[in-house]
Amino acid sequence: MVSRLARWLGAARLDLAEEAVQDALLRALATWPFRGVPAEPRGWLFQVARNRAVDLLRREASLRGKLDGFDGWLEESPPAPALGDDELAMIFMCCHPSLPPAARVALTLKTVGGFSVEEIAAAFLAESEAIAQRLVRAKRQIREQAIAIEIPAEEELGGRLDSVLDVLYLLFNEGYSAHGGPNLTRAELCGEAIRLAEILAGNPATDRPVVHALLALMLLQASRLPARVDEAGDVLLLAEQDRGVWDQELIGRGLHHLDRAASGRTITAYHVEAAIAAAHAVAVDDAATDWGYVVRLYDDLLAIKPSPVVELNRAIALAMTEGPAAGIAAIDRIEQDPALARYYLLPAALGRLWLEAGDPERAARYFEEALTRPCSAPERRFLERQLTKCRPGIPR
Amino acid sequence: MAKYLVVVRGTGIPSTLSPQEMQKIIQKYVSWAEELRKSGRAVQGEKLRAGEGRVLRSQGGKMAVTDGPYAETKEIVGGFWLIEAGSYDEVLTLLANHPHLDSPGSLEVREVEDTSRRG
Repeated sequence: MVSRLARWLGAARLDLAEEAVQDALLRALATWPFRGVPAEPRGWLFQVARNRAVDLLRREASLRGKLDGFDGWLEESPPAPALGDDELAMIFMCCHPSLPPAARVALTLKTVGGFSVEEIAAAFLAESEAIAQRLVRAKRQIREQAIAIEIPAEEELGGRLDSVLDVLYLLFNEGYSAHGGPNLTRAELCGEAIRLAEILAGNPATDRPVVHALLALMLLQASRLPARVDEAGDVLLLAEQDRGVWDQELIGRGLHHLDRAASGRTITAYHVEAAIAAAHAVAVDDAATDWGYVVRLYDDLLAIKPSPVVELNRAIALAMTEGPAAGIAAIDRIEQDPALARYYLLPAALGRLWLEAGDPERAARYFEEALTRPCSAPERRFLERQLTKCRPGIPR
Repeated sequence: MAKYLVVVRGTGIPSTLSPQEMQKIIQKYVSWAEELRKSGRAVQGEKLRAGEGRVLRSQGGKMAVTDGPYAETKEIVGGFWLIEAGSYDEVLTLLANHPHLDSPGSLEVREVEDTSRRG
């Protein structure tokens, strides 16, 4: 709704579009319970919002004393573009590469997702004031740089699409890496990222293999969300998870999009990551997982996107096929990488492998090291549980 | 069966709500109203125009008219329902799950006295 109105009014009037839609919703709240819902609620809301926007514009114009040539433009009906194009055009505007990444995410949630400033702040553990500021600055930048609400032309679509996919992936990971807690908004982030990717996948302009790859990755990861924590909100390892609660419907949709992702010639990091997620999703348990295949997929991923975090994941998969010693040797190569200096999963993985290798004392030292690094409360409890396993009988 | 007037008073919706939250609230109000209509107890329900109203008073023998909205009252009357029910208790049961009660607003119930039946 905001997208459609803003596209008609122009990106510089994003605030006006938001205000007009808000007013239309208030009017619906005051009217519909008594009079019943109109036959076409969306059309009704849009009409009211449009009239409201025109009123606001007229007032603004008459205050500035320049009404000339204005009314003619206002009488024009808004264009009726193909369904879903407005939202897609708005996504492209919000994810414009010249906006700072944090602003892209906040703007997308606010304008396309319809989240409130408070909800966005809660999701990113930031102050509402800071988010509001970020939005104000982004909107100013949109006005100053005359960024348009439009689906980019073919020649620049690829690069602009990458920027959109980055934002969706960031959004999804932000929701995914949070472990439950009192804040349900964070699970909604995953849902919103998936919804937006589905808009992209469903529109002929952006129906590309890379979009299906990211959508497949997110759906497959999301299928495990309900199993990742136990009743107390504690983190569970893949091997400990109850695979019965993995969402089979999401897995089915994920595999479908992975299939459609395979139609292109380019293999992206999203393709490989989705393939890894699929390898886990189709295995009935940890032992049935084809770990050798997973290691090879991590090799592919390293070739596309070299990163110590990917190396760490590969090392863990390697330990599953060749035993803990091979995993430990692989981690040794990246242990001193400065990018992992504060990454608690590195010592945690070493602790896990040394415990398996039969050296609980050494394992305990690694878990202690992991506890000195930043992690969430459920992750902390998980590490303490591991530590107790290494040193049973020692009260902590 | 008697008729009851239900006056819906509110303090307005905070403007900080997101469109998503607004839609959820609208849905609740509409569902409640649909339930009421289905029960066959609704005689009439109307929204009142916002920000308008007149108050008539006699001042020294002459009629004085003041305009609303009434700055001294924080609550705005947004609309009213006329409901048929056997007793106050029954009306209160019908209203118990009204979404308006989740807001700072209020519902006022008054029985319409049937003067035609008076002996």
